[in-house]
Amino acid sequence: MDEAAGDPAALELLRVQRGRLADRLRLPWWYQAGAALVWAVVFAGPFTSRYLPRGMPTWPVFAAAAALACLLQWCLTRVTGIRLPFRNLRSPSPGRPVGIAILVIFLAVGETERLLIGGGLIAAAVAAAAVGVAAELACLQIALRVNRRELRGGGPA
Amino acid sequence: VTARPDPLIHPIARLSICALLASGADWVEFAALRDAAGISDSVLSKQSRVLEEAGYLQVRKGAVGRRPRTWFRLTAAGRRAVADHLAWLVQLEASVSARTPVEVEDRVVGEDRAEPSCQLPAGVAAGESLPGVVEGGKRQKPLRKVDAVMM
Repeated sequence: MDEAAGDPAALELLRVQRGRLADRLRLPWWYQAGAALVWAVVFAGPFTSRYLPRGMPTWPVFAAAAALACLLQWCLTRVTGIRLPFRNLRSPSPGRPVGIAILVIFLAVGETERLLIGGGLIAAAVAAAAVGVAAELACLQIALRVNRRELRGGGPA
Repeated sequence: VTARPDPLIHPIARLSICALLASGADWVEFAALRDAAGISDSVLSKQSRVLEEAGYLQVRKGAVGRRPRTWFRLTAAGRRAVADHLAWLVQLEASVSARTPVEVEDRVVGEDRAEPSCQLPAGVAAGESLPGVVEGGKRQKPLRKVDAVMM
């Protein structure tokens, strides 16, 4: 333990170590499949509220989706060994634009579906939901890449 | 150099632990930290205890089934100390890299001018051993006369 870090080469070593830590942050296939399922349930909301019989509550479906999302996040933390800090959209961070994009896609696709279902264009509404799921998964990948870059760079830029 | 080094996180293992925890993660698990830092379980346990006692590190112990899981995070004081120490290292690197080309040039010119020498250092008689050389923190086997001439 006498080896000291006064050597500037220590910085290079730290970069390598951060790279190793960042490389652990990868999405397993089950996480992506689970996330796709969660978003599919979310974007199925406009259909269920319109086509389910009156008086039948839709909240259990959304509660189950939220529980699945929490479970996925918990499993991912256990698998990677890294727990990232929670940041809301008000706090400036490199992942903020992606967070805003996720929210905008959610709102835009939900509204589009409602309009299409109202106009009787069910197939188009289903297509919009599918595009929404794909877009949200792409955002998830981008968010993860941003987090990896942040870990590699040594913190928020 | 205006930033100051922190003697507590100056050793490379402790610096690695702190720098990895300060890199943007909130909590990092024992195995992930050990693998990323490239240190052994015992070194991580020992050094994390030192950092925890200094108030730089927060440790949370739990278990998943029968397997114990330990998680680490930096405290606010730890984050400040790491930021200061890394700033000092960056300044040190900048000052060294700014000085290095001139020094290297001087050394090359000096070596070109010097006569090749096979003389032993003063005070070393034939057959005597040279004092041990400390390299990488470990004392190496003492050099003999023949080795010294070859260097």
